[in-house]
Amino acid sequence: MKAYKFLLPDRVAPFTGFRWPVGEWAEADRQALCTAGIHACDHGDLPFWLLDELWLIELGESVVRGRHKLVAPNGRLVRRVEAWDAAAGEDFSAACIERVRGLAARRPDAAGHLADLAGWAPHVRPAAVASLAARAFEAFESRKGYDDERAEQSAWLVGRLGLDAAA
Amino acid sequence: MAAELTCKELVELVTEYLDGALSLDELERFEEHLVYCAPCVTHVEQMRDTIRLVGAVREEDLDPVVADELLAAFRGWREDTA
Repeated sequence: MKAYKFLLPDRVAPFTGFRWPVGEWAEADRQALCTAGIHACDHGDLPFWLLDELWLIELGESVVRGRHKLVAPNGRLVRRVEAWDAAAGEDFSAACIERVRGLAARRPDAAGHLADLAGWAPHVRPAAVASLAARAFEAFESRKGYDDERAEQSAWLVGRLGLDAAA
Repeated sequence: MAAELTCKELVELVTEYLDGALSLDELERFEEHLVYCAPCVTHVEQMRDTIRLVGAVREEDLDPVVADELLAAFRGWREDTA
């Protein structure tokens, strides 16, 4: 199946340091959720793993679903999603801020969250903006607010990056 | 339970993370936090380096003066906390 994978610059995996080749199958030692296996994202998982490079990845059989990720015994990078770049990251962050601005318009006591988010956004990664925005909604609309904001972030990424067409 | 780990919670779990002792759910929440929190990434790297460096020190590598000072400090700590 086709999925997506965020990596650090030059195709480096963030937790293992593994430098992914392009087009070659990489095999995990064993398949166990989280601790081993090839980790990837479907559309809904994307906002939780935002890093520098986004790649389309083909996963082998026996894909297992985690909380916010897919795990497979093997996978291979197919091609980079070039539309995910610094400009897209800035636009993504701006969209998160706008939604929190809407929250603050409905709930004036959310103004502090908006001020924090707008202040931090130029200095942190889009992943941090996404987390701060989701937690702002969680603070006022509980877990449903958090989940809804994460879903909005996912929809933004799918639309902006043309991911349905990419897969 | 909040949707995401706080930095304080991550710091409390870092030793278990480095030992590979977190539950699968904790591990996923831990790594999700590292994606967006640069200071926690630095903390984990510092802890990993500290464990590696301290693990490489043998008793005979210590200057005897430093060893005596450390022993005195620990004896004092035990007396202070008794």
